[in-house]
Amino acid sequence: MKLANPHSATDTYASDADSSNRAVSEETLATHIPTHLATQPAPAKPERRATPRTSPRPWETPPAPVPAPHLDDYRTIIGAADLDELRFLARNLKGKSMKMVNSTAVGGGVAEMLNRLVPLLGELEVTTHWEVITGGNDFFEVTKAFHNALHGSEYQLTKSAQEIFLAYNEQNRQRMHFPEDVIVIHDPQPAALVVARNEPARKESHQRWVWRCHIDLSNPNPQVWGLLRPFIEQYDAAIFSSQSFARQLPIPQYLFYPCIDPLSEKNKELDDSFVQKVCDEFGVDRSRPIVTQVSRFDRLKDPVGVVQAFKLARKYVDCQLVLAGGGASDDPEGALVLKEVKEVAGNDPNIIILDLPPWCALEINALQRASTIVVQKSIKEGFGLTVTEALWKGKPTIAGAVGGIPNQIIHKLTGMLVHSVEGCAYQIRFLLTHPEFAAQLGRNGHEHVKENFLMTTNVRRWLLLLRLLLHDRK
Amino acid sequence: MTTTAQLILPKTQVKPFYFNTSAHLLRVTMQKANTLAELLDALRVCPEESIFQHTFRTLQEHHFIREGFSNDFAHWTLAACNEPGLAEQLASVDVREFTSLRGLRERFIQIVHDHLRLNPADGTRLAEETFYFCAADIVVIPTNFVASTMYDFAEGLREVSVHSIHHHFIEARLRLKLMSNDFSQWLHEDVGLTDAARALNQIDIYMSTLEDVRGQIVRIVEKALA
Repeated sequence: MKLANPHSATDTYASDADSSNRAVSEETLATHIPTHLATQPAPAKPERRATPRTSPRPWETPPAPVPAPHLDDYRTIIGAADLDELRFLARNLKGKSMKMVNSTAVGGGVAEMLNRLVPLLGELEVTTHWEVITGGNDFFEVTKAFHNALHGSEYQLTKSAQEIFLAYNEQNRQRMHFPEDVIVIHDPQPAALVVARNEPARKESHQRWVWRCHIDLSNPNPQVWGLLRPFIEQYDAAIFSSQSFARQLPIPQYLFYPCIDPLSEKNKELDDSFVQKVCDEFGVDRSRPIVTQVSRFDRLKDPVGVVQAFKLARKYVDCQLVLAGGGASDDPEGALVLKEVKEVAGNDPNIIILDLPPWCALEINALQRASTIVVQKSIKEGFGLTVTEALWKGKPTIAGAVGGIPNQIIHKLTGMLVHSVEGCAYQIRFLLTHPEFAAQLGRNGHEHVKENFLMTTNVRRWLLLLRLLLHDRK
Repeated sequence: MTTTAQLILPKTQVKPFYFNTSAHLLRVTMQKANTLAELLDALRVCPEESIFQHTFRTLQEHHFIREGFSNDFAHWTLAACNEPGLAEQLASVDVREFTSLRGLRERFIQIVHDHLRLNPADGTRLAEETFYFCAADIVVIPTNFVASTMYDFAEGLREVSVHSIHHHFIEARLRLKLMSNDFSQWLHEDVGLTDAARALNQIDIYMSTLEDVRGQIVRIVEKALA
């Protein structure tokens, strides 16, 4: 794998407050101390405060990288039969090779996903290479603008931007080699590399090219899409993360849902003693119902609406609210939203607001596991991997009916969909007073994720796609 | 009818049953619907793989849910169009009554067509969300389980994935073109356990999760051998 430019324009997979390896300065660290500890009255166990710590709290320092799991590590999670099916699917792909090409090696959800996927495919003897394109700041500025424009932002495509995009793609085409059976290009940045398939040496080959689009193309800027489309049409297939992101194209379009890794720090099983320790550290009282939202302090996640819904619900049911997220320290907009949230929360001791650094995956995991209910009251959403995480942990989940969330939450069957603050408040009350129904939602949600949104499901999809491209469909 | 059940010993060799499974890749098609009239139009022209995806496959994708999820057309009609009467009719379509996707498609077309004939205003009312027609591309793969005895068969039933159970027990009728399934066919034709074969075919897949279905199949097979 080649390391290259850390610029990332795509972040579709990175769930909020994720564990991506973003650089955090010492100044930033200093401001990442859990906000409630700095601003709220001490909720419990003051003796901890009285004892000076001799080492940093776990959330103050990034943990050492965790080695990637092996395929057999998933056996207890998905079962021997499902694991065997992966091996059978891979059996006649032995000796085949695939190359993944994207624009960043670290940071962002795509890199996070490839970091797990590539070794697992390798274990199944599908040789998978991962290469990262290079480019100057001008290229990544242009592709960042393209990214926003493809999400529907206003943008005027200039001749210069077009030339920069094409020139760096051409530079990378000349630098890279494509001997593999299947070439997968991720996202718009390297999309024009597909012209490499027209080189004389490759023209007669049975090589297949796939475009994996991780972003929402449901309302793209017509100029940018007009530039990309002729390239996309040269691929053999495209992959999207939601039905609504697909476009009218003359090539087959497949649906690969984003996924979570059940063995990652964010999702693995935890000892209850660790969950208790984290709750103690953050002043969360596990003897009372806990309602939690994990998300960046971003208006699109509507943290203010969550506080309002909580306050409405709390008139009738005893509970506490945990808002755990990040983004307030390195994003001025986030800081503003955090300030608004604190204002709405007032001095309510039942509301615990945590501004955590990105590497607090274990702490987030513990808070989700300690929760009675998880809320994700987004106003706009990509896929909503925090919802996936909550469902995986068997938590009754209430979420806004936006973006990819309805793919995960089937109303009243795997969770509750809401459209307003009042609706959210009602569902908090309902689930807290109907624990058996809530528990059934949690069980269904867990099974739904197991069936559709795990890393192993993603491995299965890639193997199936390779089979269809190389063998089963002529 | 007298069966040979009493003659079959758990370890008597019979013609092998090969447990297979199918894996599906979801493809997005060109059809979508924002109204019931558009749903009807799309039902008429969508590929058969779409009918399969939104009926047989959705049952598999949501195999852990006992109630309220028989097919995607019914679910969308209720959740996005708020048409409970039509949704009930669509939900009552039992895929086991069809041995071809063509027949299944015609049944859905007939129900929606009849509803819109009686309620023409419903046809143009905008749904809360779009229905995207998807299609399933299928790859059939073997498993580690081959049963040469009834003992092996019961063991295989307990151990294979629920996808394999779905493949043999529910999808099979599209291959067999019979109102039956692979397990019943084998029990009847190759083992001679006709009563057990018939009992299997009467399991209500809509009132159980696929794991429950597996449990019921195993119990019937064990009872036949008792």
